[in-house]
Amino acid sequence: MEAPPVSVLPITGGTINMMEYLLQGSVLDQALESLLHRLRGLCDNMEPETFADHELVYLLKGQQGNPFLLRARRSLSHPTVPWHLRYLGQPEVGDKSRHALVRNCVDVATSHSLPDFLNEMGFRMDHEFVAKGHIFRRGVLKVVVSKLSRILVPGNTENTEPLSLSYLVELSVLVPAGQDTMSEDMRSFAEQLKPLVHLEKIDPKRHM
Amino acid sequence: MGVTCVCQVPLAEGKSVQQTIDILHKKLEQLGAVKQGNFTVDCETYHATGNASGQPTKLLYVMHNSETPLSCLALFEGGPCLTADGNFDVLMIKLKSHFQNAKGHKVESRGSRYRYCDFLIKVGAITMSSSARGISVEVEYCPCVVPGDCWNLMKEFMQSFLGPSIPELPSVFATKPEGLYVPADCVDTMTQYLELFSKVRKQQVLPGTTR
Repeated sequence: MEAPPVSVLPITGGTINMMEYLLQGSVLDQALESLLHRLRGLCDNMEPETFADHELVYLLKGQQGNPFLLRARRSLSHPTVPWHLRYLGQPEVGDKSRHALVRNCVDVATSHSLPDFLNEMGFRMDHEFVAKGHIFRRGVLKVVVSKLSRILVPGNTENTEPLSLSYLVELSVLVPAGQDTMSEDMRSFAEQLKPLVHLEKIDPKRHM
Repeated sequence: MGVTCVCQVPLAEGKSVQQTIDILHKKLEQLGAVKQGNFTVDCETYHATGNASGQPTKLLYVMHNSETPLSCLALFEGGPCLTADGNFDVLMIKLKSHFQNAKGHKVESRGSRYRYCDFLIKVGAITMSSSARGISVEVEYCPCVVPGDCWNLMKEFMQSFLGPSIPELPSVFATKPEGLYVPADCVDTMTQYLELFSKVRKQQVLPGTTR
């Protein structure tokens, strides 16, 4: 019954800013096992972790500018775990020689009332999908191999069909703003996954 | 966490906010309560900017409680609420073009936290823009989560140090006298603070002590 420490975290713009470094690629279904085998060898020794998530993408249309996008994700395999809300900023345009896509990232754990709350804020769901796959770690680097599936009936996560005949492979790391040592580590790790998968920096804007 | 009641206490005759708080502390200490640290509850207000003209502006409240320092509660009055971790405040900064922070409307209650057997009592000075607005008292009866089972006991306890200024049954309990209180996410407690802060915002600034 001791009082928790009353410490005031200074929240000012820019103080707590995490950046996500990202490289993406894909492998055809047939090549999945070889990739998982290589990843088991290269990554930290831990129990192989699979996941099944349902992600909903919400947009808030403002009076001007692009709509504000938020991603709400919940686990289908662990339904009582908190929802995960994620904001991703615009990719940083800067050093073209930087090997990874870099963008501001805010992750919030929330209670299960998230969809209703976002609707009340004015957000509308744009699309949803199911992602199932495997997750690996190597130090602070995270590798996620996922199969994305389209939801055929809104809200029904049982009835899905795969979006493609391949798996999405993502190599990412979260670091505080200002630390720029990660893209080199990511590049050298990505080298070790060639030729099974080619991970590269993919600018989302060029595909819209 | 148990059943919690939050109420406003009027100033003692001819006394300032700080003097009234000191009187309450003395009464609690005479009862045998022991001071255990401090507490803060605050509430920030955000205006939704995207509304069509003619529609009332939606107000979003984001509240923090030192009892749950890593969490915050976001709610619309009478609408859905969301419990989230501390990064929700960072997200609201990113959303500043859609939700403006009405900085002058931030209300907080700060004070000492007392423990008396199974009760936790928090006496706070309510301030808005550095001016004193009143006194809040929060009483929690930790062992019980059903309001109907312990309201009489809580009233009796509050009478022992608040005298005649004991509150009515909080409206959040009215809907569930036999139902489970939801202590795990503090929603009922924070709803009571929100009601209190909304009332206090409309009241006049109290003469005398500013912080």
